[in-house]
Amino acid sequence: MSTSVMVEQEAGHIRPFNLRNIKRTDLWLAACVVALAVIGILVLYSANRSVSSGTNFYLKQAAFFVGGCGVALFLCCFDHRFLVSLGPVVFTVCCGLLVAVLVVGAEVKGGQRWLHFGPFGFQPSEYTKLAVVLMLAWYFTAIGRKIERLGYFLLAFVIGGIPAILIFKEPDLGTAATLGPITVAMLYVAGCKRWHLLAVVLTGLAAAPIAWTQLEDYQRTRVMTIMDPGADPQGSGYHTIQSMITVGSGGLRGKGYLDGTQTYLSYLPEHHTDFIFSLLAEEFGFVGGVTVLGLFMLVFLRGLQFARNSVDMTGSYLAVGVVTLLAFHVFVNIAITIGMMPVTGLPLPFLSYGGSFYLTTMTSIGILFSINARRGMFDRLDRSRNPSRYRWV
Amino acid sequence: MDSERKDTYAGLDRRIQSVALVLAGAAVVLSLRLWDLQVNHGAEYRGKSDQNRLRIQRLEAPRGTIYGQRDGIADVVLADNRPVHDLMFVPADCDIDPRVVCDRLERILGIDAGRLMEEIAAAEAVRQPHKQILIRRDVPISASARIDEYAYALPGVFTVVRPMRRYAYGRTAGQLIGYLGEINPQELQKRTDRYRMGDLIGRSGIERLYEETLHGTEGKMLVTRYAVGVPQIRTDPYGRPRVENLVDSYGHDLRVEEAILRPISGGDIYVTLDIGVQAKAEELLEGEEGAIAMLNADTGAVLALASSPGYDPSIFVARSGNNERLKVLRDKPNRMLHRAYQERYAPGSIFKIVLAIAALEEGVIDTSTTHYCPGKFRITPNGRPWHCWKRSGHGTIGVVNALAFSCDVFFYNVGLKLGVDKIHEWALRLGLGDVTGLDMPLEITGLIPSRQWKEDLLRPKHPKEPWEYRWYPGDTVNLSIGQGAASVTPLQIAVLMSAIVNGGHRVRPVLNRESAVSRSDAVVTPDTLAIIREGLLKCVEKGPPAPTGTGHAAYIEGTMVIGKTASAQNVSLAHQEQYGDEENIPKGIRDHAWFVAGVLDREPRIALCILVEHGHHGSSAAAPLAKELIDYFYSSRAAASVKLARGPESPAQ
Repeated sequence: MSTSVMVEQEAGHIRPFNLRNIKRTDLWLAACVVALAVIGILVLYSANRSVSSGTNFYLKQAAFFVGGCGVALFLCCFDHRFLVSLGPVVFTVCCGLLVAVLVVGAEVKGGQRWLHFGPFGFQPSEYTKLAVVLMLAWYFTAIGRKIERLGYFLLAFVIGGIPAILIFKEPDLGTAATLGPITVAMLYVAGCKRWHLLAVVLTGLAAAPIAWTQLEDYQRTRVMTIMDPGADPQGSGYHTIQSMITVGSGGLRGKGYLDGTQTYLSYLPEHHTDFIFSLLAEEFGFVGGVTVLGLFMLVFLRGLQFARNSVDMTGSYLAVGVVTLLAFHVFVNIAITIGMMPVTGLPLPFLSYGGSFYLTTMTSIGILFSINARRGMFDRLDRSRNPSRYRWV
Repeated sequence: MDSERKDTYAGLDRRIQSVALVLAGAAVVLSLRLWDLQVNHGAEYRGKSDQNRLRIQRLEAPRGTIYGQRDGIADVVLADNRPVHDLMFVPADCDIDPRVVCDRLERILGIDAGRLMEEIAAAEAVRQPHKQILIRRDVPISASARIDEYAYALPGVFTVVRPMRRYAYGRTAGQLIGYLGEINPQELQKRTDRYRMGDLIGRSGIERLYEETLHGTEGKMLVTRYAVGVPQIRTDPYGRPRVENLVDSYGHDLRVEEAILRPISGGDIYVTLDIGVQAKAEELLEGEEGAIAMLNADTGAVLALASSPGYDPSIFVARSGNNERLKVLRDKPNRMLHRAYQERYAPGSIFKIVLAIAALEEGVIDTSTTHYCPGKFRITPNGRPWHCWKRSGHGTIGVVNALAFSCDVFFYNVGLKLGVDKIHEWALRLGLGDVTGLDMPLEITGLIPSRQWKEDLLRPKHPKEPWEYRWYPGDTVNLSIGQGAASVTPLQIAVLMSAIVNGGHRVRPVLNRESAVSRSDAVVTPDTLAIIREGLLKCVEKGPPAPTGTGHAAYIEGTMVIGKTASAQNVSLAHQEQYGDEENIPKGIRDHAWFVAGVLDREPRIALCILVEHGHHGSSAAAPLAKELIDYFYSSRAAASVKLARGPESPAQ
């Protein structure tokens, strides 16, 4: 696509940080991100009406967006190869923190997910997702074509598996499950043998009954609920039923902005976080829901386009990993709100209220920008002249 | 061109495209599901969401009023509803420090500010600042007025008005009117359509019998409904719910979605009871256990139906005072029992009226028939003696004097001549030993013994010994003076007297003005009636010149009062005699005192029956009460009608 041939740096001598990358920000992606962020703030404004406490979620979310833009632009200036080179360190630190959470973490709502440093609390599992993406990108870059060998192939699962098991122990099924598709998608794009992947997926399916026995009771109930939400409408089925009523009652065009009743009358709990899509679908109907889904698809396809256009394989891995991460959240979250999947705490990027996940989202977007920023620097065909690994010289 | 480097490979683009395809596929699946939910099933879910959104807020209906009469003036309120002002506080409406308001309330009303502050803190802790916190239930009007006066200093304080049952005459006629109690879960299951948990339901008397009428039809108001929170309804001074600015306990706006359906007050009940006479009757029985029944002899309308001791139904209305309620429910002697139709007594000498009617009608005796009374009576020359109450004997006596002076021996003879079957037949025909048909719950039958009854009772116990269950002439002798197994209610005796007063018609006593008046064809011929009336008139007459009858204490100058006394034994004579002088007999084993009276020449003609438990002699314990009650009845009516003719002196009571 790009035609200009600019040799900026020789092999092994890349600039880790370049402010000029900001000029190369992809406008399509930026436009979609801004659109989604604005929709998110509008929807949160509506959700805010039914919360009697003084918190203005939509204002805080707007602040998160502004801060997130800064983060994204900052990351955009980095050479993505530099970011990937940090992968092993970040990954190790994250795994260490996950272990720490299990040992000394604070318990909230029955899960041990939070670490506190003085006044600050954070969930290491949130950042582990990106750490795994970076680590896998680093790993695939390092081994190159050796990924076709079974041993190297399986090692990728070890990388994804260790944090997944640690997170699963917290227990946080939703986040743990995120790591699976990321690993599989990145392996696939990294060029692993298809039958290897197929074998692993089939083994995974065969092992599902064993995993079932490892689930907590409430998790099993949630899975059973999705088969028949009406079985316990006031208990485990409540969320699913109310969410489906909320979405369904929106109809084709919705009840109108700020005219939603389900969420306003507090029938749907967590409607400003995990079930924000229901509110959107209630007030804006099928049209609104599909529009947002379409915007997300534009983001994903743009990200995958970056993966194709990346001047090095590292960028492709990274882009695919980041897109898979976001897409998993979007699809699973929406599937939950429309009663296709069991209730698991997975937020919807840009729309769900919450600072940590907003940071993850904007970091992902920043990484995509960063990958794209290097696109025009070298002709794609000239990839060989361009080292894909950052060397610490 | 070094594109063959190991770190890339030919299939990369295709693989990325596959990933894109998978994502697009997922998006399509989700879109289809959304279409299915929102467009195909949109209407269905819209309905469910509307169901979620609206709730029916119930508006309680006031209970119907019970009207009676007072001294002949109709439509006097016996039970109605008064507005109760409950003082409430809503923290969200208080723009100053609630502590200040609490302190001011403490000064004005003397409430406990600390406790109120705790409740306010509790409501705020669960984020329900709009919850109406009850400061005080049922504040007096004066306190309510003071609160209004200081409204500027008491932001957030207001009154909510609700209807509460009021019994205008307190304990007077308490047992007849009945009381209310909270509906229990079993009853609720049977009638979910009109009742909710916590509703009051009639538990006895008129309140219970006419529950269907008195209980109103609830109103409805469709309001937005929240998943949490309780609607906080405020009322205007008349207790009607206010529609504007409705909130629930969390402060959510409750928009009224539809015109409200006003509650329909329960239907009214009009009873024939004369509360003035009733109060007089209860006053007369004060301190005694007993009953008075007074009927309009021509229609059967109940004018007074008193029972002592009684209770005040108001205590069942108040929320507090549970101990008081339990005390009333468990008190001895039983306060809940209406002794005029829920308790039975041996009729004693009053039964002689039945015997006289039966004998005259059956032609067993006539006015010329006489018997000699030596003071005692034997069936066989050497058998056991039955005494006359007058040990010295009445001498030769006919039916008129036998009634007037209550000669036992005369009626022993008459009873034996008649036989038990005739006596039983006539007693039933005159309304004894069976329910009178009074329109009140739980009336009892009483009992008039018969051959069949004795056999049914005793044969199972002694199947091989016929002498145990055979009816003996001695049983007939006992029955002849209303002793033995015979038992009746005072109301039945009043019905018997009505027949004598009204020309032989058996009436059905009714309390409800709308109940059908039923009156049988004459069961007694005028000739017989004339004889009976003569005897009963003589009973009340005061000598000299005429000899004094047993009921002379009920004699009223210028009024034709007929009457009959009775002293019904309830333990064996021997048991009483061990105490020697009758004044020494303990109260619990003294005879019951009866007096039954009728008024023949005044309008309306009345029949009344008085029973004083263990009153000893009808002549001394019951007859004077009859005189007072009859006096009161006619004089109060006359006074009231004079008052009416002049116009009321003061505003209605």
